[in-house]
Amino acid sequence: MIVLGVDVGGTFTDLILADLGKQQLTVHKTPSTPANPAIGVVTGLKAICDKAGVAVSEIDSLFHGTTVGTNAMLEHDGATTGMITNDGFRDVLHIGRHQRPQHYSIMQDLPWQARPLIRRRHRHTVAGRLDATGAELVALDEADVRAAAREMAGQGVESVLVGFLFSYVNPEHERRAAAIVQDEMPEAFVTTSSGVAPQFREFERFTTAAMSAFIGPKVRRYISDLQDELRGQGLKGELHVMTSSGGVATPEMIAEKPASTLLSGLVAGVRGGAWIGNHAGTDRLITLDIGGTSADIGIVVDGRLAEADTRSASIAGFPVMLPMIDIHTIGAGGGSIAYLDRGGAFRVGPESAGADPGPAAYGKGGKLPTVTDANLVLGRLAPQNFLGGDMTLDVEAARRVVGELAEKLGRSPEETAEGALTVLNSNMANAIRSRTVQKGIDPRDFTLSGFGGAGPLHAAEVARMLGVRRVLIPPHPGITSAMGLLTADLEYHALRTAFAVKGSLDHARLTALFDDMQAELSGIFDRDGVTVEKRKMLREGDLRYVGQGYELKIDIPDGPLDEAALEQVWQAFHDRHRAEYGHAFEAAPIEIVTVKLRGLGEVEKLGTPPEATGPDAASPVGQGQCVFRIEDALQSFETPYFDRSALPVGVAMQGPAILLQTDSTTVVPPDWHFEVDRFANVVMTRDGE
Amino acid sequence: MQTRVDPFLAAVIHGALENIAIEMGHKLMRMSYSSIIRESEDFGAALTDAKGRQLCECTMSTPLQSGPIPGYIEGILRELESRGDTVQPGDVFMHNDSYAGASHGPDVGFAVPIFHQGELAGFSVTTAHHLDIGALTPGSCGIVDAVDAYAEGLQFKAVRVYDAGKKVEPVWQILRSNIRIADLVVGDMEAQVAAARIGADRYSALLDQYGLETVTGAYEDLLDYSEKLMRDAIAAIPDGSYNARTYIDGYLDSDDPALKELPIEVTLKIDGSDILVDLTGTAPQTPNKPINMPLVGTVDCAVWLTLRSILLDSDKYGAIPQNSGLTRPITIHAPEGCLANPIFPAPVIARFCPGNAVADTVMKAIAPAVPRQVSAGIGNLRVMAFSGATKAGPWVHMEIMEGAYGGRYGKDGMDAVDTLYANTRNNPVEDIESHLPLRVLNYELREDVAGAGQWRGGIGSIRSFELLEDGAVSVEGDGQRFRPWGFAGGSDGSPANVDLVRADGRTEALPSKIPYRPLGKGDRLVAYGPCGGGYGDPFARAPEDVLDDVLDGLLRIETAREAYGVAIAEDGRLDREATERLRAGR
Repeated sequence: MIVLGVDVGGTFTDLILADLGKQQLTVHKTPSTPANPAIGVVTGLKAICDKAGVAVSEIDSLFHGTTVGTNAMLEHDGATTGMITNDGFRDVLHIGRHQRPQHYSIMQDLPWQARPLIRRRHRHTVAGRLDATGAELVALDEADVRAAAREMAGQGVESVLVGFLFSYVNPEHERRAAAIVQDEMPEAFVTTSSGVAPQFREFERFTTAAMSAFIGPKVRRYISDLQDELRGQGLKGELHVMTSSGGVATPEMIAEKPASTLLSGLVAGVRGGAWIGNHAGTDRLITLDIGGTSADIGIVVDGRLAEADTRSASIAGFPVMLPMIDIHTIGAGGGSIAYLDRGGAFRVGPESAGADPGPAAYGKGGKLPTVTDANLVLGRLAPQNFLGGDMTLDVEAARRVVGELAEKLGRSPEETAEGALTVLNSNMANAIRSRTVQKGIDPRDFTLSGFGGAGPLHAAEVARMLGVRRVLIPPHPGITSAMGLLTADLEYHALRTAFAVKGSLDHARLTALFDDMQAELSGIFDRDGVTVEKRKMLREGDLRYVGQGYELKIDIPDGPLDEAALEQVWQAFHDRHRAEYGHAFEAAPIEIVTVKLRGLGEVEKLGTPPEATGPDAASPVGQGQCVFRIEDALQSFETPYFDRSALPVGVAMQGPAILLQTDSTTVVPPDWHFEVDRFANVVMTRDGE
Repeated sequence: MQTRVDPFLAAVIHGALENIAIEMGHKLMRMSYSSIIRESEDFGAALTDAKGRQLCECTMSTPLQSGPIPGYIEGILRELESRGDTVQPGDVFMHNDSYAGASHGPDVGFAVPIFHQGELAGFSVTTAHHLDIGALTPGSCGIVDAVDAYAEGLQFKAVRVYDAGKKVEPVWQILRSNIRIADLVVGDMEAQVAAARIGADRYSALLDQYGLETVTGAYEDLLDYSEKLMRDAIAAIPDGSYNARTYIDGYLDSDDPALKELPIEVTLKIDGSDILVDLTGTAPQTPNKPINMPLVGTVDCAVWLTLRSILLDSDKYGAIPQNSGLTRPITIHAPEGCLANPIFPAPVIARFCPGNAVADTVMKAIAPAVPRQVSAGIGNLRVMAFSGATKAGPWVHMEIMEGAYGGRYGKDGMDAVDTLYANTRNNPVEDIESHLPLRVLNYELREDVAGAGQWRGGIGSIRSFELLEDGAVSVEGDGQRFRPWGFAGGSDGSPANVDLVRADGRTEALPSKIPYRPLGKGDRLVAYGPCGGGYGDPFARAPEDVLDDVLDGLLRIETAREAYGVAIAEDGRLDREATERLRAGR
């Protein structure tokens, strides 16, 4: 069995090929081709097959992470989209929640008004109205719908959203209108709000569905072109695409639900981190993926990737009401610039020097001190051995730009460089706290996994700030995302609005909702050819106290939902509420707002990572003076540099140390131990206080 | 700038403070029951020092809730001192005294003191707008006929709800028996206490980690920093005196001339890096009508918010921490006994709209000095309170009706949005109809009414509600008599109005303030929101932008010709030649 993971990022397309039988991994990086990402994918495919000595036709399965959908949103470059909605509600998408994103700004833009997904001229209203129970108040005027469709066809609309109030309770009007539109506009991409996100709150549901309509044609075309290209190269295996919820889906499914790819490119990193953590014996993990401009943070609790709640997820300033892994992105990376702002406060990021000109140390004309320059000034990067020697760093340039800032501050360059790293690390630690401490999770029980180009440089210091004692650096930090692609199962979601209140709950209806969802997902798995024994269905519900506006996700047991089973659910909700908010209203009635079914279909994927081998003892490839803050004072340490691939396995060593490899550099501070585990991870630990 | 704490550590502590305030707000919003908190986000969360100076605020909270928090603490401390009382660990104080810090009575604050090594080190505070506070009629908005402070509902002056950790049951019993829909309101109050306690715990831990002196030094630096940014921005404005006057409706249906068409006047005196904001010229207080504005808690917040939004616009400056340093360069004067500085017990509960008019007048005054940083006149908001009783018990629903911004330099005004010191959220139609005997009939932009300008004013909404059972409504609004001001050659915007359409079809145009009025099943309220003023000469507007509004159904072809001098053919094509002729011939 041979599987290939292809992760297309902004700068590079990362590939990893795994021969599951032989336990062999091959990795490769090639520049991305943003105009048509498929070109980079095909170039990489050929190269990695050559490298591994494998024919394209031997690949059984190709797993893909794409940013085509995300970029269409970020660049506001999607299809000309139209909408059919209720009479009287033409501007739901425009008015939104009538709130400004910024409290203190006159000149701000409202994203939904400045960059509309569907312009007002393309939003048509028709007679037809349901009430909150789904009962029809006004019949759908089909002639209105047909007339609107004809008008849109004349307006050059390529993609149409049908969005009606209360369609999450009763989708009939939407379905009927969609059928009429498709009939009038056979070429158009037609979508319904209930088909995309059947949950209450019309602005958020319509916006999510509008996004799907806006990016749909582009995503569908890309996937279809990519399939053709890959077939042309001789690929016989299946294409699987990563979705925002951390699973993969078939091309057919992506064509139906293009918005499910909005986080495709980001999620794979957390997935990869979780897989590595799992094999390193931890199921409570913080993943910290740091690149040049941003740091992406994910949380894994009891082996499950933490999900964003329905009301918190957004893309490009638009709310997204879809299952998504909770990835917290902040502007902190190797290129982040340290500076004094207009009020004289010291700041690091979110402005970044990017890849061009990049940090001053790159010698490409960068004149502002960046995090990379600070690392270099402190001796934490080996100037002659950056990225495996592919690039030489300019120490003098780094010292010069850091020195200029230091002068303004009246501090030494080392103090300034260390200060910049402390501020950056503290920003990341705060971001991690917002996803752990603020949700009632104690991060001190967690392992922190640092990857991406700059993650291993900062992981130990961030861990120290959080009280985390164990840090894990995967074997190939730069391609952890591509690796993550190879660890996912098919994953589909079904969802129904339930509004079932404890005490007056109709058990049969609740069970029927789950049965209905089970039938829906089973149909998809049948189509995908996933056999029954490879399927797993997990029940969940979004619950709240009656009257609240935010829900918490609670597992719902299998089997008949009788009083005893539900009692477990109620208790789990009280417990979760107390853990998350510090308070529970034990006497208050509870409402199940939505019920959800998550279907997993097992596919062939990476099993156990390859076993590591290494010499009996380590010998440094060099050494340098590295500066660390110990007991509140800066101290310089004679620090050995090691080639990471030539470290012994299972031998405990003491920091400080700098570990070099082609795609990253790992910093082990003086008071940390480290060793290479049997799967070639570097594990750093810190003694208790 | 001389700092007390090294800049790196200071940055770390500032980040931690902000994180705490966000956590407080996040938890309050998610735990709370009433839609005014959980959906509208009409709540505040902040930490102060022992004297009440604000250290940080929650970025999700609404400015009119977090802004007054320093005043709440000062009010609590003054009240305790006058009683010869002191703060003990484990105490929790409830406070809503609009003559001692609170913006108005329904905004109840809960303050948890923070002790470090036995000494009072600060307060963790949450405020929130409650649906009912035991006033003369149901709800806490639209009480436009309260005759004095006592008619506005319960008044709490530094009332202990926990005494050294022990719940003071009698107080909670009084709340339960004097507030309509007490389950909801008291549940939200409990959530406020829980969230404030979390803030206190986190701040305590921060003090333990870094020590009081370092943390104090770091926030003193932060106050200095905010002050410096504000001073630099003020210093960039030419010294001088800038004056503006606007008018509020007051009670348009009243026979008493002292109650309607009331002036709000603002004179800004800029001297170096200081601003004196003088409200002399503003109408006298209304002795038995609650549109007076507390100077501390409403007027000051309106002034601060407007000046910082213009001078330190976060879209340009990035996020600047909101704290007491920002307000140091600003002095506010309002003659005692005027609308903006009433004398107790003048009623104040309906101060929301006049307060936002103060904000708008401050912007109008400063506009000539910083014309590229302001909008033309804004459309004010209105609040509607619906109530009734179903089999399940009494219900109250408050809906904040949005306004619109005026045009801006280089940009049209924002459409159908909360303006200036208000920034709440509307309630989803699907939420309202699922929980209340109300139906929303429409929610759209108005057409062909925008304030014309090179950059046109933002467009107001139309939104209608129908009662599905007998009930009642009260309305607390303004902006029906006077149009939002146009700027730099732009036209004035459009006023708001509200129609009551009875089930039998009779229509009545309502004034902007309606005390509790019983309605029958099938009666409808149709609310037309105001449109902001235009910015710049309409004849200078890019013809393509005029065409866009025509194609989007927001502007009629005839209006395009008359107001903008743009000729558009019936088929929707721009006639450039005719446009040039029209524009040249003006």
